[in-house]
Amino acid sequence: MSVYSGFREDLLGTVPSLRAFAVSLAKNADRADDLVQETLVKAWDKQQSFQPGTNLKAWLFTILRNEFYSQMRKRKREVEDSDGAITARLSVHPAQEGSVDLKDFRKALEQLPEDQREAIILIGASGFSYEEAAEICGCAVGTIKSRVSRARNRLQDILEISGESDFGPDAISAQITNTAFVA
Amino acid sequence: MKYEKPASQRTSGHRGSADDPLGVNSEIGRKLKQYYDDLVSEEIPDKFAMLLTQLEASERSQQGEDKD
Repeated sequence: MSVYSGFREDLLGTVPSLRAFAVSLAKNADRADDLVQETLVKAWDKQQSFQPGTNLKAWLFTILRNEFYSQMRKRKREVEDSDGAITARLSVHPAQEGSVDLKDFRKALEQLPEDQREAIILIGASGFSYEEAAEICGCAVGTIKSRVSRARNRLQDILEISGESDFGPDAISAQITNTAFVA
Repeated sequence: MKYEKPASQRTSGHRGSADDPLGVNSEIGRKLKQYYDDLVSEEIPDKFAMLLTQLEASERSQQGEDKD
């Protein structure tokens, strides 16, 4: 029996963002679709462990992420590639005057290590809070913050974006320090 | 104490404030959302809906067996 009526529809409603997250992680649409399928099967099998009223999207993202990393461990070679071997060789076309081309942006994003890429996607695009992202990734809030910050600086470097100094590392570390005291 | 930010800006989940490193004032932040929104708005293959229908059906038939 479904954990609550409408569970199927809610799962289906999350597919677009699950898929976007999967593509961001896997860098490949076919593999992303496999990940989403696997996630739906796992979610269905363990639906009794989901607490209705809590964040279904975060729960599903956690399952998908775990699935991604367990597949990654199985394909160790790919892990080594994405951890920097490719990064060093790849050259991205410098950003054009003014705005960055979306294709260049995608390439730049793909050069980031997984942990940074997932952090900046969860925070900057999927709409999760730092706390939620930390829960999904199974790490501390401060770790997510520093990964987002490193990802952002790295993207800026790769894309040769300047003029964002107002929102640079200082602002971020100030935010982290602040939160540390509040928490 | 007087340097402390208002509570609303301290909330780490808060988006869109001026000091948000990925907010509307950031080129990276804008591109990131554009990149992601493009992905989210892609057409979803039918196979996902079909998969869920299968899962639901197999669960029903299992329950039927349990009752027998």
